[in-house]
Amino acid sequence: MSKRFEAYPYVWRLPLLIWQGLFFVGPLILMVAMSFWLVRNYRMEPDFVLKNWDRMLGRDYFWNAYWVTLWRATLAGVLASLIAFPASYALAFRVSETTRRWAIFFLIVPFFTSYLVRVYAWQVLLAESGPINAVLGFGGLGPFTMLNSGFGAMVGYMTLVLPLVVILQTFSLAAIDRNLIEAAWNLGASPRETLFQVILPAARIGLILGATFAFILSFGDFVSPFYLGGSKPPTLSILIIDTTKSGQQWPRAAVVAIMMIATLFVAAFAAVGAAYGRRK
Amino acid sequence: MTDSDPLVRFSGVRKTYGTFEAVKHLDLDIGRGEFVAIMGPSGCGKTTTLRMLAGLEEPTAGEITIDGRVMNEVSAHDRDTPLVWQSLALFPFLNVKENVEFGLRMRGVPKADRHGRAMLWLERLGLKGFETRRIDQLSGGQRQRVALARSLVTEPRMLLLDEPLSALDAHLVIRMQGVLTRLQKELGITFVYVTHSQSEAFAMADRVVIMGHGEIAQIGRPQEIFRAPRNRFVAEFVGRNNILPGDKPGHELVVAADRMQVSASDPGEGALAAEFLSEEFAGTGIICYFEGPEGVELKAQVTEDQLDDLSPEPGQRFWLNWAPGAAHVMAGI
Repeated sequence: MSKRFEAYPYVWRLPLLIWQGLFFVGPLILMVAMSFWLVRNYRMEPDFVLKNWDRMLGRDYFWNAYWVTLWRATLAGVLASLIAFPASYALAFRVSETTRRWAIFFLIVPFFTSYLVRVYAWQVLLAESGPINAVLGFGGLGPFTMLNSGFGAMVGYMTLVLPLVVILQTFSLAAIDRNLIEAAWNLGASPRETLFQVILPAARIGLILGATFAFILSFGDFVSPFYLGGSKPPTLSILIIDTTKSGQQWPRAAVVAIMMIATLFVAAFAAVGAAYGRRK
Repeated sequence: MTDSDPLVRFSGVRKTYGTFEAVKHLDLDIGRGEFVAIMGPSGCGKTTTLRMLAGLEEPTAGEITIDGRVMNEVSAHDRDTPLVWQSLALFPFLNVKENVEFGLRMRGVPKADRHGRAMLWLERLGLKGFETRRIDQLSGGQRQRVALARSLVTEPRMLLLDEPLSALDAHLVIRMQGVLTRLQKELGITFVYVTHSQSEAFAMADRVVIMGHGEIAQIGRPQEIFRAPRNRFVAEFVGRNNILPGDKPGHELVVAADRMQVSASDPGEGALAAEFLSEEFAGTGIICYFEGPEGVELKAQVTEDQLDDLSPEPGQRFWLNWAPGAAHVMAGI
C-alpha cells in the first residue's frame, strides 16, 4: 500500500506560511535586492552595485547612529527590567488574585491610547517651562533640560515598554510553583538567597523575554528618539527617515534596515538561547 | 534535655484562617527516633500541623517546641526541619547533585565538603551516576529519592514528609515504604509522616495520630487503632470495621471484617441474619458486603476457598457472628 499524503497538518500550517511569505520573506527579499539598486535623477533603477553598502557602512555617521541605537536599546532593556521587577514581584507574590487581575488590566489600558499621544504629553511635562521643572523649581532645583536628550528618549522608551515588561514578568513570577519557594526556605535559604537562587532562575524565561521585547521595541522605535530625544545624535530609525527624504535614497535606507534586522535577529536568537538553553 | 524528653511538643496549638479553624486544639508529643504518622481525611488539619512544625505556617495560639526551644518566632529557614513535599518541589533548573547540595550551600558548607556529602547520599539512595541528570530526565521513583537525599544531606534530627508517595505507582509505593522504614531505622531520626493512606501509615509508623476536624481523634500503635478505635470517626475512617449497637445505651461494638464469620445456616448464639449484597477482592482476601438488621451494612473478610464454599448470590441469607473477644466496645459517644 502506498503511503497516503496527509494533507491535514499542511492545511493548518498554510495560513502561517502564506502570511510569512507575503509580509515578511517577500518584502525582505525585495529590500535586499533594493539595497543593490541605483538612484538616478531621484528615480530608482534596478542594478547590482555595492555602492550603497559602501557609502553607508564606510561612514562614521552610520556607525555613530548604530552604536547609539544599540546602546540605548540595551539600556532600555536593562532599565525597564530593573524598574519593572519590584512591581512585578509585588503583583505576583504580595497581592490577591483579584488585585493582580485589575493591575494587569490597568497595565493594558495605556495601549488604548496612541503611543504618539503619550509621547506628546511627555513633551509638555518635560519641557523647560513644564510642570516637572516648575515643581522642582519650588525646591530650588533646576530648571533641567530633559527634552532633546538621551534622558528624554529613555523616558519615551519606558512609556512604550514598561507595561509590557511588567506584564511578562508578573506572569512568569506568578507561574512559579510556590512549593519551590517554600522548599528553598525549608532548606535554609534566606529571603534574599531565595530570590537569587530560586525565584530568578525559575522565572528566567519570562524575565529574559521581557528584557528582549523592551530591547527590540526600543531599537526600532522612531517616535521617542525623534520627539523626545531631539534626533541628535540620530538613531537608525531616524537615519532611515533622513535618508529617504534626502534625494529619495531608498537603496541606502534599505542598507540601514537590513543592518537593523540582522542585529535584531542576532539579539533575539541570543535571548532565546539564554532563556531556553540548557545549562552546561 | 534528656533523651526521654520529647523532641517535639505541640501544646494547645490552634491555627485559624479567617473564620476557618484548620487546627482547633492540638497537644502532641513526638519522641526522638520515632516514626509518627499523622493520618486523616482531607481538611482534617494534618498538613497544617506539619507545616507549622516546619515554620511555613505560624500557630494562631499555643506553642510548638523542638528540643525544649519555643519555635513560634523562628522562621522557616532558621529551622532544621526538612520537608519532603507531595510534589517533591525539586528545583527544575538545577541538576540532581545541585539539588542535593542546595541545603548545604545555603548553610555555607565549603564546596569540597558539599560534594563529598552529596555524593555519599546519592550513592546511599542508589542514585550514583545520575549526578548531572536534569530532574525531568528522572523517573518518579528516582525523583522521590533525590527529594529524600536533598532533605537528609544536612543530617537533620527529624524529617517531615507530606504525602510523599501519593503520586507514585502502587508497586513503587511498596518499595519506597521499604526504603523509608529502613532509612528511619538506620538513621535513628524522627520521621513525621502525613498521609491519608491507612496502608502507608500502618505499614511504617510506630505510632499513628488520627486527626479529624482539626483535632486528634486517637493516638496509638497501628494495631490499637485498628482493633480498638476510640470512637465512631476513627472506626469509620479506618474502614473494614463493622459498627454495631452495643448492649448498653451509648455503647457501640466494633468488629473487624476479618473477625467476622459467615455461615450458610444459623449457628445460634446471637448471630446476625444478613442478606448478601456484593463482594470485593481486596488483595489479602475478599470483603463480602451484607445488609444486616435495620439496613446496617456489614462486612466480612473471607478467603477465596470460603467464598467458593459459600458461593453467595445477591439477596441470599447468611448468618454473621464473631468470637466473644473479637468485639471492641466503644463507650460514651
